[in-house]
Amino acid sequence: MKEKNIRKKRSGIKAYLYLAPAIAVAAVFYWYPSLKSLIESFFNVNGNGEILSFAGLENYRILFRDPAFINSLKVTLKFIVLFVPANTFVTLLAASLTRRPSRLSFIPEYIFFTPVAVSLSAYSLLMKEIFRGNASVLNNLFGTTFSGITTPGGAMAVLVILGIFLDFGIDYILLMCAFRSIDKSVVEAARMDGAGGWRLYWCVEVPMIKETVLITIFLALKDAILISAPIIILTEGGPFRSTETVMFYYYTEAFRSGNRAVQNALASLVLTLAAFVMALFPMKNRLTGDKA
Amino acid sequence: MKMKRKPLDFVRYILRKVLLVTLSLIIIFPLFYMASSSLFSSSDFNNLRLLPSVPVWENYVKALNNKYFFTYVFNSIGTSVLSALLRTVIVSLAAFAFAFLSFRGKKAIFIALVLTLFIPQEAILYQNYRTVAGLGLLDSWLGIIITGLFPAAQMLLITGSFSSTGKEVYEASKIDGATDLKFMIHILLPLCSPAVMTVAIQSLIVSFNSYLWPLLVTNKPASRTIQTGMTMLGFAESGQYGPQMATLVLVTLPFLIILAFTRKKIESTLIRR
Repeated sequence: MKEKNIRKKRSGIKAYLYLAPAIAVAAVFYWYPSLKSLIESFFNVNGNGEILSFAGLENYRILFRDPAFINSLKVTLKFIVLFVPANTFVTLLAASLTRRPSRLSFIPEYIFFTPVAVSLSAYSLLMKEIFRGNASVLNNLFGTTFSGITTPGGAMAVLVILGIFLDFGIDYILLMCAFRSIDKSVVEAARMDGAGGWRLYWCVEVPMIKETVLITIFLALKDAILISAPIIILTEGGPFRSTETVMFYYYTEAFRSGNRAVQNALASLVLTLAAFVMALFPMKNRLTGDKA
Repeated sequence: MKMKRKPLDFVRYILRKVLLVTLSLIIIFPLFYMASSSLFSSSDFNNLRLLPSVPVWENYVKALNNKYFFTYVFNSIGTSVLSALLRTVIVSLAAFAFAFLSFRGKKAIFIALVLTLFIPQEAILYQNYRTVAGLGLLDSWLGIIITGLFPAAQMLLITGSFSSTGKEVYEASKIDGATDLKFMIHILLPLCSPAVMTVAIQSLIVSFNSYLWPLLVTNKPASRTIQTGMTMLGFAESGQYGPQMATLVLVTLPFLIILAFTRKKIESTLIRR
């Protein structure tokens, strides 16, 4: 009994040693900044980040009185509403079309995989050039007059397209592999019972990959709420603040205008919202999925 | 009934193929345009061409001759390899503790670590920037990678993989006199190599492709990575879109080639049969 205790103690010390680097990074670069933002959001803070006095909800009041912030909320909401369904539709369509391997399917499969190999800044720069305005290669090719990033509506559309390209690769891989993981005997049994085509697809196959579809929707939602980096390259929030999302607003407030007070309040709001959204995330699948 | 269905099935088949080809063309178009326009002359851009009138290979010479190109690439490779190494080690050590050892506060520590999944780095950029600046790590490789050194999702992946190895194997190796380190290197990592490789490769790509954080913590051109530097090479400003596109090709092509060889492997690890 005694020996066992000593052994346990020893393995305890070892365990803490192994965990030390992970705990250090998690503490210093996740927990500390989150709690610091939350606490400081209730105080007046000077330019060097020193706490001056208690402010109550004043920072939040300032934030919600800023028309630029209200605008960024509307822009983000608009982006979410446009992007999440469009992204789900396109990625599910691609995965569905290639769900059964055939002789030549490696070509579209490879093409649908390529977006994971292209970086955010590369796609952003490419879209900026492809949709640069009325005079663009696509308009020339199809005889259309799409304004691209030069008008508010066009810029939002391009941002949605860019967003889809950025998420497409990983979503496609997850969905396509989920389709192919479906037990073939189930599909065969449904076929024997007379289900075919659409019925088989909607009533048997899609329900069987429901969890993966949900994961891609949540990932899209998370990315939509947090989108900022592509905007920095693509539009700088313009034209007329039409693509200034909440996180882009945060970025400009924190790093360009140096608005410390508002920055903490905003960070706290986003952290709360993110925690809320992520709590809805199908965690069970994530925790146990890889053991199966 | 079967006879009736056949023409409809054929229409469906054609429709599916048309959709597939259209969607493939849309997805590949940016990459096609990138490759094509990397050989454009300035007038090709102005004339909105789809293919170059005469391939201008000089764009690549200009891209490679940019005085910062190799510095950026070197920084990118350096930071992403270092990050992948450190991440794999940190995550494996933590996963080992959770999978094989029993100790006080195991559950609490596990939850505290997993909950970092709920904290988006984007929302704490400013506080992290202050911390990294305070540590004197601006414009350094460590500064670029340090905030991402603990990926909770990957720890879950490896913990799952380690746990499935079973404690008996660990106990047996201990009886044979193997230290934890020996057990990990000679038994555990080879057994769990798919999961470990996944983490290492994912880390490499994520780190190589990261944009916003490296942009914030690097001010000197000499310390920038290619992803942030690519937008600041100065080609676009001086109207040289050709060399700009050539740079994009040079940075993207290696990954497209790697993908061609690893696609099957990715599929086989994700498809459960």
